[in-house]
Amino acid sequence: MVEVNKTFKERLIDFTMYCRDRHFVLGPQETKDAFKIAENGYVLDRKLFHYSLKAIFCKRKEHFDRFDEMFVRFWSRYYEEKLDERKKEIKLIKNESNSASVIFLGSEFHVPKKEKKIEAKQTKGANENIRLRMTDFSKVDINDKKHLEELAIELFNQMSMRFKRRLESSNKGIVNIRRTIRESIGKGGLPLDLNFKKKRKEKRKVVFILDVSGSMDTYSYYLLRYIMVLKKYFKSLEFFTFSTMLTHITPLLRQKNDQEILRQISKNISSWSSGTKIGESLSEFVSVYGNRYLSQKHIVVILSDGLETGSVTVLKEAVATIRRKCKTLVWLNPLKGMKNYKPIQKGIINVMPHLDAFESAHNLDSLLKLEKLLMNV
Amino acid sequence: MNKDINTLIKDFYNNDYILNEELATSVFLLKNLEKPLLLEGNPGVGKTMLAKTLANHLKTKLIRLQCYEGLDVSTSIYEWNYQKQLLHIKLFESEKDKKTLESQIFSMDYILQRPLLQSIGADIPVVLLIDEIDRADEEFEAYLLELLSDFQISIPELGTIKAKTKPLVILTSNRTRELSDALRRRCLYHWVDFPSKSKEIDIIAKKLPNIDELLATQVVTFIHNLRKSSLHKPPGIAESLDWAKTLLLMNVANITDEIVINTIGSVLKHKDDIDFVRNKTVQEFLFPID
Repeated sequence: MVEVNKTFKERLIDFTMYCRDRHFVLGPQETKDAFKIAENGYVLDRKLFHYSLKAIFCKRKEHFDRFDEMFVRFWSRYYEEKLDERKKEIKLIKNESNSASVIFLGSEFHVPKKEKKIEAKQTKGANENIRLRMTDFSKVDINDKKHLEELAIELFNQMSMRFKRRLESSNKGIVNIRRTIRESIGKGGLPLDLNFKKKRKEKRKVVFILDVSGSMDTYSYYLLRYIMVLKKYFKSLEFFTFSTMLTHITPLLRQKNDQEILRQISKNISSWSSGTKIGESLSEFVSVYGNRYLSQKHIVVILSDGLETGSVTVLKEAVATIRRKCKTLVWLNPLKGMKNYKPIQKGIINVMPHLDAFESAHNLDSLLKLEKLLMNV
Repeated sequence: MNKDINTLIKDFYNNDYILNEELATSVFLLKNLEKPLLLEGNPGVGKTMLAKTLANHLKTKLIRLQCYEGLDVSTSIYEWNYQKQLLHIKLFESEKDKKTLESQIFSMDYILQRPLLQSIGADIPVVLLIDEIDRADEEFEAYLLELLSDFQISIPELGTIKAKTKPLVILTSNRTRELSDALRRRCLYHWVDFPSKSKEIDIIAKKLPNIDELLATQVVTFIHNLRKSSLHKPPGIAESLDWAKTLLLMNVANITDEIVINTIGSVLKHKDDIDFVRNKTVQEFLFPID
């Protein structure tokens, strides 16, 4: 046993907090285990200490991939220096007499000190994660981008877990008489334990059609990640992208590695960030894939800003056909999240009567709210 | 690196399993912190083999529970031996003291022990392998929580049965579904990745001592480049070994297009993947242009 001093224990707690801030799920037990390995003398060997903490703190592959960099960052001199710099910066801000800087939605505003106090009161309880959840994807500050991506992956994973749980819990069907009688033989013929038939699951079939044109640039990446997570739980999810032409993406989602999926998608979609021909693309979807992916079991989700450059009549007809052939048609429009947005564009006005739902998809919060909508499929 | 870990690596090597330092540390902690170890990774990277080798290394018994959809308490933990209970009731029908009779039929003698109960009832610590936990239902995961955190099992009629000796628990998962946070929290974690080229050559050389070094290098280079292609099912170490064995049996010294066409079935198990490889030349996999 090695005696571990208080300062080192505090540093270990700091490291736990540091990991927790980066979405590692760590409780007191993990901290206790970390103390235990320190007391066992593993701290004397940096590699052993590193790998031991890795085994204790990581709970999934995403953590495992990020841990090494985080460990080196935290326990190296570099981090110490950065910490000192930040402390100095904080001191400077505190010493400012007339104005204080508040970072809000990626922009820096200088507000008088009195106002700052009032705002601080109003935003009581709000933290970094909540702020990022509410931030419009198009306004994400470059410094926040990485943090937002990590948060998105974590929240999407939690959402998909909830999907899974709800699907499972509603799986009990009627009593299976034959099996109940068979099992009661061992109990002297008394049917003490009832055996239930599994409810026949109606297969959920979802088709996502994502607009990847230039006007959707700031949103399409996050929407793509969202669909990739959903794919894990909706076995019969089909995914298409369009800008000036339609591309069937589902076969590319078979890769297990998310990075590989993104690489394949970027390799295969040549029209990413180009013009928009929503009507023509949707017509192509109806004529080429309609027979396979449009039925009364399908829900179709179109993710687009609706800024059509082609013929509005074609768009209207395509949307009407899709609505007729599918169970539910949902349109997700990132622009709807803007404060003064009104659906007055020609394209949108024409398709609105055919939609079952018209929702926003401009920030993490709005995407997470779609969970309820998809659960009712 | 720590002396104990080096010994562990050496001992595993003697048992034909090549451990890296990171995985060795996890195994070392499994023994010392007495916490279960959750291994995740692609199929065929040696997760199950690790548990077998650990049992060999500790010279103890391996108890394996293969998970599947619908696995329940009666097949994994315990089941009452109903026939034996009925016989006992018949034999002692005239017994007036019904309470004694009841306590007799609800005792450990009338329980059929399944893997999990066996593992906590062993006199010396055993290795308990809960294989492919992702195939089991979420309800089963919930059953496991008590065992994994407190090493005890509750049987309503008997109460709580505490472990005589704590088993070394290894759980494996191929990530076909996400495991619950509650289960993950109770375990140490390690992601078992495909090995590096040199390590895979070492593994093949260790398992097949007769293999020519050139052939082993060719097999590993080919397989590594296959893994980079977008296949339905990338080959694991088990497939590399199978292919090397096949080539050795056929006395192949050099991999050619014809050999690949004839033997690729031992590496790839999906028609589309096989077609993909058959449409390319062997040179494209042995000397790829990145």
